[in-house]
Amino acid sequence: MRYLYRALTVVGGHRAQRVMGGATLAGLAATVVIGLLVVPPDAAQGDVQRLMYVHVPAAWVAFLSFGVVFLASIAYLKTGRVQWDRVAAASAEIGVLFCTLTIVLGSLWGRPVWGTWWTWDPRLTTTAVLLLIYVGYLSLRKVADSPARRARWSAVLGVIGFVDVPIVHMSVVWWRSLHQQATVLRPGAPTIAGSMLATLLLAFVAFSLAYGYLMAVRMRLGRLEDRTDQPVSLMSTPRARRPVASTHNA
Amino acid sequence: MHDVGYVAAGYAVTMAALVGYRWRLAVRTRRARRYVSTVSGRR
Repeated sequence: MRYLYRALTVVGGHRAQRVMGGATLAGLAATVVIGLLVVPPDAAQGDVQRLMYVHVPAAWVAFLSFGVVFLASIAYLKTGRVQWDRVAAASAEIGVLFCTLTIVLGSLWGRPVWGTWWTWDPRLTTTAVLLLIYVGYLSLRKVADSPARRARWSAVLGVIGFVDVPIVHMSVVWWRSLHQQATVLRPGAPTIAGSMLATLLLAFVAFSLAYGYLMAVRMRLGRLEDRTDQPVSLMSTPRARRPVASTHNA
Repeated sequence: MHDVGYVAAGYAVTMAALVGYRWRLAVRTRRARRYVSTVSGRR
């Protein structure tokens, strides 16, 4: 846990952030060029399979983000340190972005291959539930009336909400699904051609870099937001105590 | 040929979402920085 926060702090530095931004840009550009122009089309699906190089990494980053929310929430509940709440909030926001992307890209892929934009398939339904859980998480953060309560409530939801992540991953195994089975994260060797796997791994790296970069930027904003909260809490405490002290003195 | 439209839309949506979110973060950071400097009375 401590190492995760330290890594985020190092990445949060201005220079490291710029380097990471450049690496993200290069990685994404390489993914687009190789995914669209270099790697051959799929024998069965044709060109539309190229959506895999953005759809699958987007899902991976969504899972990664919610995993970080889960760990940071546990760390917050254990230590009560506001830094963990900041990590969880930043990661949840990015996770919602990538989870939405996953659903939109899946829909764009499903239309030509399955003949429908959306179907209540177990994988699609559990992913939609996952998105709703974390949209709820972000909404909860907006309605809580004090920073401490906001952090505690959202940490509890951050732990409970993660339960849906393994359910999404296993949904294609547990239930009959229109969605294809796992091709990379599965027991045994990946069932995918070498050039496609290499492109997919490149995309995984590029999207993970994008996550790290966005986390660093979002954490910086989180620190600023906490500073705007701070004057209010610091002002209210002495004012509440002053009458008690004056009565005692009198 | 028809499939290429879905692929192009997918890649365009992905890049637009990433760039859009980064831009939104920049706007929010600028606003928060301005607020902090106003409240604390220094930059």
